[in-house]
Amino acid sequence: MSLKKFGENDVIVNTMKAYPMCKFFVFDGKIYYNDTPAVSGAFSDRVYNVPPGHISLYEYNIDKKIGKNKFIYPFITKDGAGDSFTTVSDSSYQTDYSYGDVISGSYPMSASITREFMTPKAGNLITRTTSSWDGKADVDVYYRGPKYRHFYALKNKLDFYGVRSEHYKVSSSHGDKSEQRINLISIPSIFYGAAIKPGSLSLKWYLTGSLIGELRDTKQNGELIEVTGSSTGSVAGVVLYEEGFILLTGSWVLNAETIGLESGSAPRVPKTPKWIYFGAGSNDDVNQTTTGSGSFVSASFDLSFKGTTETQVLTMFAHALRGKVNYSNNPTFLEYSQSQIETTSSLVYQENASREIYNTVSSSYSDYSSPFKRQVYISRVAVYDEKKNLIGIATLANPILKKEDQDLSFKLKLDI
Amino acid sequence: MAVTNFEMLDTTKDVTTTRTLLHESIPLTGTIVSGTYGTFPDEGNIKNYTHGQFQSVFDYPYLSSSANHIFDITIGYDESSALSESTALSTQQSKKINMYNQFSQVLLGYTGSTNQVRKFELDLDLDESTGTVMKEAVFLNFSRLITKDQIKKGTFSITLGTASWNEDGAAPFELVKTLTDSSSTDTAGTNNTLGGDYGLLKENGSGVARGLVFYQAGIVILSTSSWASIPDFLSESNEKYTIENTFVSQSLTSSCDAFRHRVQNITFNNATEINSAIYFCRVPHNKYNHSTNPTYLSASTIRVKSVNTDTPVAYLTTIGLYSSNNELLAVAKLSEPLKKDPTNELTLRVRLDY
Repeated sequence: MSLKKFGENDVIVNTMKAYPMCKFFVFDGKIYYNDTPAVSGAFSDRVYNVPPGHISLYEYNIDKKIGKNKFIYPFITKDGAGDSFTTVSDSSYQTDYSYGDVISGSYPMSASITREFMTPKAGNLITRTTSSWDGKADVDVYYRGPKYRHFYALKNKLDFYGVRSEHYKVSSSHGDKSEQRINLISIPSIFYGAAIKPGSLSLKWYLTGSLIGELRDTKQNGELIEVTGSSTGSVAGVVLYEEGFILLTGSWVLNAETIGLESGSAPRVPKTPKWIYFGAGSNDDVNQTTTGSGSFVSASFDLSFKGTTETQVLTMFAHALRGKVNYSNNPTFLEYSQSQIETTSSLVYQENASREIYNTVSSSYSDYSSPFKRQVYISRVAVYDEKKNLIGIATLANPILKKEDQDLSFKLKLDI
Repeated sequence: MAVTNFEMLDTTKDVTTTRTLLHESIPLTGTIVSGTYGTFPDEGNIKNYTHGQFQSVFDYPYLSSSANHIFDITIGYDESSALSESTALSTQQSKKINMYNQFSQVLLGYTGSTNQVRKFELDLDLDESTGTVMKEAVFLNFSRLITKDQIKKGTFSITLGTASWNEDGAAPFELVKTLTDSSSTDTAGTNNTLGGDYGLLKENGSGVARGLVFYQAGIVILSTSSWASIPDFLSESNEKYTIENTFVSQSLTSSCDAFRHRVQNITFNNATEINSAIYFCRVPHNKYNHSTNPTYLSASTIRVKSVNTDTPVAYLTTIGLYSSNNELLAVAKLSEPLKKDPTNELTLRVRLDY
């Protein structure tokens, strides 16, 4: 079959932007991702072998249990290229392994949202002191560093986004974040892609199943504004769309009832629901035991947003013009039981030139054959490279009838 | 930040490439292949097709989105095999012959003046010498998801049950044979052909070759000789079938089921090639001591200098890699800014994996 060359305007590359929905529901120290329940298998309680609310990176080691099954794991041999796993530190790579040693990792690798509650001040420093020889008194401060390093790491970005809204700034007329309690929720980029879609974020605070507060970024500038609750219109925090961080500072009371929301040593004081407690139980060691309160299960949280993914799409238009693509090499295209060879001998090979094409024209009447017309059913389109190597096949859901006087164009799309 | 000048990379001295092999250990226990997700032979993780040409094994019931495709099983024999003579008794004979031919065409190609399809052999010389030709075979086609770029040479192992199907209460795994490619290494013990490198699967202990493993293609071909001595490779409705009878009279699907019943263990390591380009970006002592960052100046004086006789100082945070047309292609960030002044020279190693 002859090949048709793509014309100048027949091959185009576009970028398809998609906004996948992502939803987390937090309840009783467990996270539920996109309302997916934990599925148990023949060996493992959880088929993906990751905690609830986590996604498994390669989805390896499906339904395996430690001690029962062997696990797939990655390994690398230390050589001159100097490659290693990120879990192996530089000093460990240099000192713990010789050339030729095997460095191994483990699967599954998982990701989920994490909450970090920075209290009493996000900007607190930690100091360590040496003790005097008798151990009675601290004498010398030898180390000072940030207690909440994630806040310090985000300070520059927060000031950078100050042009979007004053609420981003570390220090502004709205207060000094270093002096405030901050509820930092980190969302790994595997959940949202390039960025969280502005305007799509919604945080819902439920108490005993009733909605007591909702934040949305209605202005699409990163401000998280209360749309339901005790102080609607107030800004309770900001979101870093590209980086996947939500910082909540809103500390007004959403409901007068007190429940256990903060982990710590006894005596633990029950707290009233506030935005700084949003997401308690999201990989932050806050649960019924650490809060010392059976009422912790009264709280549940819903975090939903849309991500942004960009996919390059190659679109190809394959044209079947009128008067062309009217023949098929399928054996059933010709009438059955016709001789293929006219003459053959040691000198001559001649094919039968008058073989008839099977008439596939449908008739509306019984016992009546419609007059013959040249037509084919196109079932697939093959794509070749410039060296005529077959590089792809597009198969149609149903074969398309092509009559001799018809022009057809097939639109082929390929995600790249 | 606007770039004011570029430093040209000398491709002979400043650019080099490396290749690292990342491996994964893949254990596949026989219980996945037969019996875990349902009652043999109708397990939920085994997919049969209406075309009946092969059978797919998944690591979990395949109707679940959690399932990964692990490998396909099929069988076949050459048209010159003794099994192809009994057309009357045979089931799906042309499919079985076509299957053999397809694998041999793709993996071995053609030979001779008449362009005959080659036959699989239990040695590495492809000369079709007597006694080593494998005219009947079981084909295991591993998914690229788990073989990645190739199966690591010398790591493949398969343990097969070679006892009777169920005679006198016996079970297939009362006798086992473990086949390994331990004689294959990166430098020896393999041959290269159309389908890539292949090595021999030899029986542990006796060292008899009983199969082939094509490393890049991720295909394992097993000879029927492992089960040649048993009367019931398959037992069904009180009928016993040797492996030859199974191949002839049973459908491809039933033959695959019978084989599946005898897989105890499969393990191998895969390999992924990570190619890297390394760019040595050299920062001379007398350059890059100034910054165009707006914060570098304060009231028209350099912020990091207090006295005008001080040497200029800058902090390097980012390296931009540009094409020959000065188009920015990639950006490398330092984990922490590096102090640069006229008294020091730096060489920054930028590594790009692809």
